[in-house]
Amino acid sequence: MPELFHRKLERTAIGFVLAIIAAASVGGIVEIAPLFTIHQTVEDAPDMRVYTPLELAGRNIYEREGCYACHSQMIRTLRDDVERYGPYSLAVESKYDHPMLWGSKRTGPDLARVGGKYSDLWQVAHLTNPRSVVPESNMPAYAFLERTPLEMDDLGQHLAVLRELGVPYTDDMIANAARDAYGQATPDSDFATGVVKRYGEATDVSAFDGVTTDVSEMDALVAYLQVLGRLTDAASREQAAVAPHVGGNGG
Amino acid sequence: MVAQLTSSERQYCAITLILMVIVGVAMAALGKSDPLGVHGVIVIVYSGVLLYLVLSAFYGPEPQEDRQASYYDDPIKVGIALSMVWAVFGMFMGVWVASQLAWPNLAFDAAWSTFGRLRPTHTTGVIFGFGGNALIATSFHVVQRTSRARLAGQISPWFVLFGFNLFCLLAVSGYLIGVTQSKEYAEAEWYADLWLVIVWVAYFILYIRTLARRKEPHIYVANWYYLAFILVVAVLHIVNNLAIPVSWGHAKSYTIWAGVQDAMVQWWYGHNAVAFFLTSGFLGMLYYYLPVRAGRPIFSYRLSILSFWGITFFYIWVGSHHLHYTALPHWVQNLGMTFSVMLLVPSWASAGNALLTLNGAWHKVRDDATLRFMFVAAVFYGLATFEGSFLAIRPVNSLSHYTDWTIGHVHAGALGWVALITFGSIYTLVPALWKRPAMYSATLVEVHFWLALAGTLIYVFAMWNSGIIQGLMWRTYTEDGTLTYSFVDTLVAMYPYYIARAFGGLLFLLGAIVACYNIWMTARGAPAVAVVGDGPAQSDAAPAPAE
Amino acid sequence: MDVSHDTLVALAKSWGLFYLIAFAVAVVIYAYRPANRARFNAAKKDILEQDDRPWR
Repeated sequence: MPELFHRKLERTAIGFVLAIIAAASVGGIVEIAPLFTIHQTVEDAPDMRVYTPLELAGRNIYEREGCYACHSQMIRTLRDDVERYGPYSLAVESKYDHPMLWGSKRTGPDLARVGGKYSDLWQVAHLTNPRSVVPESNMPAYAFLERTPLEMDDLGQHLAVLRELGVPYTDDMIANAARDAYGQATPDSDFATGVVKRYGEATDVSAFDGVTTDVSEMDALVAYLQVLGRLTDAASREQAAVAPHVGGNGG
Repeated sequence: MVAQLTSSERQYCAITLILMVIVGVAMAALGKSDPLGVHGVIVIVYSGVLLYLVLSAFYGPEPQEDRQASYYDDPIKVGIALSMVWAVFGMFMGVWVASQLAWPNLAFDAAWSTFGRLRPTHTTGVIFGFGGNALIATSFHVVQRTSRARLAGQISPWFVLFGFNLFCLLAVSGYLIGVTQSKEYAEAEWYADLWLVIVWVAYFILYIRTLARRKEPHIYVANWYYLAFILVVAVLHIVNNLAIPVSWGHAKSYTIWAGVQDAMVQWWYGHNAVAFFLTSGFLGMLYYYLPVRAGRPIFSYRLSILSFWGITFFYIWVGSHHLHYTALPHWVQNLGMTFSVMLLVPSWASAGNALLTLNGAWHKVRDDATLRFMFVAAVFYGLATFEGSFLAIRPVNSLSHYTDWTIGHVHAGALGWVALITFGSIYTLVPALWKRPAMYSATLVEVHFWLALAGTLIYVFAMWNSGIIQGLMWRTYTEDGTLTYSFVDTLVAMYPYYIARAFGGLLFLLGAIVACYNIWMTARGAPAVAVVGDGPAQSDAAPAPAE
Repeated sequence: MDVSHDTLVALAKSWGLFYLIAFAVAVVIYAYRPANRARFNAAKKDILEQDDRPWR
């Protein structure tokens, strides 16, 4: 029976094609399909906020420059990972991340909770010339970010697309995206208050690169780095309640 | 190229290219100062140059001979040439980025030349540019010879080849100007991805129609592997790249997948790009060129069938082994690990089948560097698949993940297996295509072999050392239970290995340059009036030396 | 979505395994069916004949 079946499949190569699809699709379906109901099982994070327009712009720069090629944003459930980088990452923490930036290589350290670990000033100095603050570093210098003004006019469109994909941006946020991006990097301007109103008290309003008169790509990237790991405190809450469940090979 | 086409076919070519120019103009108009506009200009120039080539030969004499009486080899020749150009480009980029890790100032304070932007030009250049063109070219060759039928199309082979290279060009140029989806091995943006879908559908139809023309009742197993490569890559590519562009005028898009789903989809894609792009297609090469070069049939045909279905079935499950100890559900990680280990069986069956085919012909392996390329490739295939299964085991992965061990493993596969089987196949194919008795210089093939082997070994050993050392340093504790080394301490320990790795890569690049010269001289030395299909029997594909 | 996560996971784990076993059996039967022996032997030898012209 199977033999006859296969011979027919082979004569018309199309049947053979179907056999390949039948063999190759099952694994993907089995592993991926259940992930769409995963919200039923994962932690809840009612306090989770979305990226501000400036942080989103910074995230896009992080992607554009390929930072993910050398920095992970995924703290594993291993003792040394947790002790080095902080509470292990939860699925919920990247639920608004299109795409996720978990990474696959640590030529540099993990950045999942780098937000707030260093001052804005340190971040700017480090990005401008990493070896000025970490002499042994092999990271490229990103001095050009300071020289490049941030493109802000179209940020509303970015937010609108993300809302279509399920990120809860409001009409108000979309309409004011460019103003909010400007306001977050210029604390003295009239736009600064709007950002806090729309995105919450915890929003980091700062002249990230130290220049208050304009908004550069450096502002955006530092704003993004400073919010990493701080969109929700679900991880520290959960892991403070339960003793860390840590893999057996932490050392 | 154009001389083999009838005048109506030339018209179709011209119309297609004019449409592509129009698409390019639309992209440039919509994109304006966005990188999309730059890519519009690239599309216009690329299509325009091809249009010029078609039009300049438009009124030349039409082919007189019966084209169905011969195989269609012109696209294969061009494919091999493009493959070698991308090889040199991609490997050069590899050496450059490797050097940047040792000497970071080699980025020269420019935006386009930082590690993060150059790294995907290396991966795309070698995987898609070098590997992809080699796969397309050899698949065109194998499907014709094993089906005893000419390709089922005069224009579509060209469309597939030049369309695919346009995709590679858009991808690589995009990274330099900051266009990327940031999905590893799928960095190209939405419009390039859409274009690749069109090209890939054309490739699939061409391949299926050629198989349907076959005079042999049975489809030779190499074609199964090529077909799985074409099909599954299409599915992976489409699902992983589903995205919504910010607008029609933006190069930037947002993937529809988020967080943990995106991680699973991306590594389902990522590992199966390894499986179906870098393994399946190249096993197709192995199952054709190795027996042909050795002059011996494959050791066990049945085993090749079993391993085909094993590889096709098992591979698709294993992507989650890239996400051990992460926020991905535990049971998915375990499935990935289990199937990764089971995958060793069909993988070693393939490697063993190749080696046993050579059993009894070891004198040929000794004397013929081309066959030795394929022999070493099979050995590295066996080693890399063993290492892959090993690294997929959770506790092992906790040490190796995020370190250079992964990079070493990938390059054991990419240099030792993929590139060596490709060079072996190209050295078998080139004299046959250009109707020459042998390569221009057997000595240069030998030189290339030793450069490639030395380069691979230096590279892989350097990365094994650095990866294991760094993984161990990360988890070393002092007696009072605190971490012994800061991250920077572990980075400092890497520098000697980064220098060694760049040197290994350089040797490999030099080998590829030697190969380009050898291929060029072989092609140039072809008889001036080579009538297609008129050469001697393809017995020259079997090695001459020492017999 | 009405389907619960646990149902999907249970289905994925069991169905995938049965599918694998059925598939493996079919492939082994095909590969070792004596009736196929001649075709396989022909296929593995035919690629070594290099006449370099399509058959008509």
